[in-house]
Amino acid sequence: MDTIPVSNLKDRPRPPKPEEVELRFSERAVKELEQLLTHYPDKKSAMLPALWIAQREYGGWLPPEAIAEVAVRLQRSYAEVEGVATFYTMYHVGHPIGRHLIEVCTCLSCYLCGAYRIADYLKEKLGVDWGETTPDGMFTLEEVECLDACDRAPLLQVGDQYIGPVTREDVDALIERLRAEESPTTIRLADEIVQAQLHASDQEKVRG
Amino acid sequence: MPERRLLLEHSGDPEYRTIEGYEKTGGYQGLRKAVTMDRQAVIDEIKKSGLRGRGGAGFPTWIKWNGIEKEKTKPHYILCNADEGEPGTFKDKELMENCPHLVIEGMIIAGWATQGDKGYIYIRGEFVDCARSIKRAIDEAYAKGYLGKNILGTGWDFDIYVHLGAGSYECGEESALMSSLMGERGMPRLKFPHAPLPTVAGLWDCPTVINNVETYACAPFIIQNGGEWYATLGASTKNSRGTKIFSVSGHVNRPGNYEVEFGTTLMELLEMAGGMKGGELKACVPGGSSVPILNREMTEKAVIGYEEMVEAGSMVGSGGCMFLNEHTCIVTFIWRTALFYARESCGKCTPCREGTTWMVQILERIREGAGKPDDIELLRDITKMIDGRSFCGLGDAAAWPVAAALRVFPEEFEYYIGHGRSIVQSPEGLAMMPESDLARV
Repeated sequence: MDTIPVSNLKDRPRPPKPEEVELRFSERAVKELEQLLTHYPDKKSAMLPALWIAQREYGGWLPPEAIAEVAVRLQRSYAEVEGVATFYTMYHVGHPIGRHLIEVCTCLSCYLCGAYRIADYLKEKLGVDWGETTPDGMFTLEEVECLDACDRAPLLQVGDQYIGPVTREDVDALIERLRAEESPTTIRLADEIVQAQLHASDQEKVRG
Repeated sequence: MPERRLLLEHSGDPEYRTIEGYEKTGGYQGLRKAVTMDRQAVIDEIKKSGLRGRGGAGFPTWIKWNGIEKEKTKPHYILCNADEGEPGTFKDKELMENCPHLVIEGMIIAGWATQGDKGYIYIRGEFVDCARSIKRAIDEAYAKGYLGKNILGTGWDFDIYVHLGAGSYECGEESALMSSLMGERGMPRLKFPHAPLPTVAGLWDCPTVINNVETYACAPFIIQNGGEWYATLGASTKNSRGTKIFSVSGHVNRPGNYEVEFGTTLMELLEMAGGMKGGELKACVPGGSSVPILNREMTEKAVIGYEEMVEAGSMVGSGGCMFLNEHTCIVTFIWRTALFYARESCGKCTPCREGTTWMVQILERIREGAGKPDDIELLRDITKMIDGRSFCGLGDAAAWPVAAALRVFPEEFEYYIGHGRSIVQSPEGLAMMPESDLARV
């Protein structure tokens, strides 16, 4: 069965040795993590938020260096952090993705409302299949499970936005709009997720 | 019965998302009243209301709240399950986006009743709009003294934090959600009676109340108006009280959230959603993808209520109600359902991890025209081998829809296997199917 994605472990580079880890979080990221750590009684519980910060800091995906940096900052092992990161579909572990990730829901309500035709159209228009990135590095196309906005089926997610119901014309307009977009929506998504977890008082402290 | 908007009454009003707008409609009066009451009296009010968990299982809410130790020995946590992931359900999304203060007030009331120290709201990573709305509301609540130190002069401190997931259906299961919040893979844990309940040892092994978004959102109304008042809603049913939000989607004219009193019928719900689109009613999945599918006759008789829905052959579940028209191929629909569970199985328990994939493989074989006569029996066997044999309910939930479809629509499976193609050949029906199916037409 070819429909269930398996992780691309064979393509994943060797994890860096502890002495090779170079900490690259920006000053802002370090302060954000510091604030997030105050929300939990232990460091391990900040794992998901820390991975979101890392995904933003490392350009929308998690190279081995990012995993290693989170491991160092939370005092956990590389294997543990990688194990957690690979469990969740929204972390892109070990392989870069395009500036814009277009996620097509083909789950029940979307499928009933024609999502497979939208998917065909997107594949044809971008010239890529599920999980592939356009040669210019602009778009990655992915199939996702229920996004839970079934009243807007068929639905797409791009960055922090839900878009739906979509027609072929909407897809054309979306692609145009994204091509003109200055910042990668994949990074914006990670940043929005980090910001939503910080209280106003935390954000003040981050700003200093 | 017509729609009865209690939780969603002001959902369409943008001002209601702000604390000023919320207070104008009586917001935070429930909390103000709760803090003048004895903690046990708050729990008793929830008991009188008959409120049951709105996440899918329908467990009485007061038992959870009452299960927290009264003589405090450890920190107490209030956890909100906002990892809405059940296909067909989008009620928590609307509540968080449009009525964030309702959810927060409900959590603070639960915190008061159980001597809570900290609250966490675990929102699925995709729901950025919800997270933004909740975050804004939390900031406002701190500024107004409903959160933080010495809440409303009671000397009681309580904080709420937003925690986002990162893409996993399994994390909507309460023990997996707690694993995920504690920084682990979202896998379920051993459950009562083999392990302590979350009310005894939940987050960080401390007493934890965990409820669904909609459940918390009911609490302000119950405290403000009394449990007895709340229990008058839905009184025509056996043991379901209050209102329930149903997310209606699929082949209907006006998909959306409709809040109804228990005792309303599925056909009334369909009418609220503007009736069927593109063809006659063929089937209905009333409570999210996990619940058994109903055919037209069963749907026409179904009354919304936890016990009533079981009598009708399905479940209330999370309230994700999908109506399917006559052009829907049930075999393809069930294949897509099975595929969802195969992809979302966390992999911990073998029956679920392997069984869900086997079901997809067999259904795929049938869809490719290579189905064998024994396949129906084989599928039935697999569902029995998964159901009840996993740590969490995902395994059961993966088995039920397949088992029900084989029971309710056996002719569709027999036809597909016998003829090598779907019983549905209308252009509308084919337009829904994946490309691989169309290639074979």
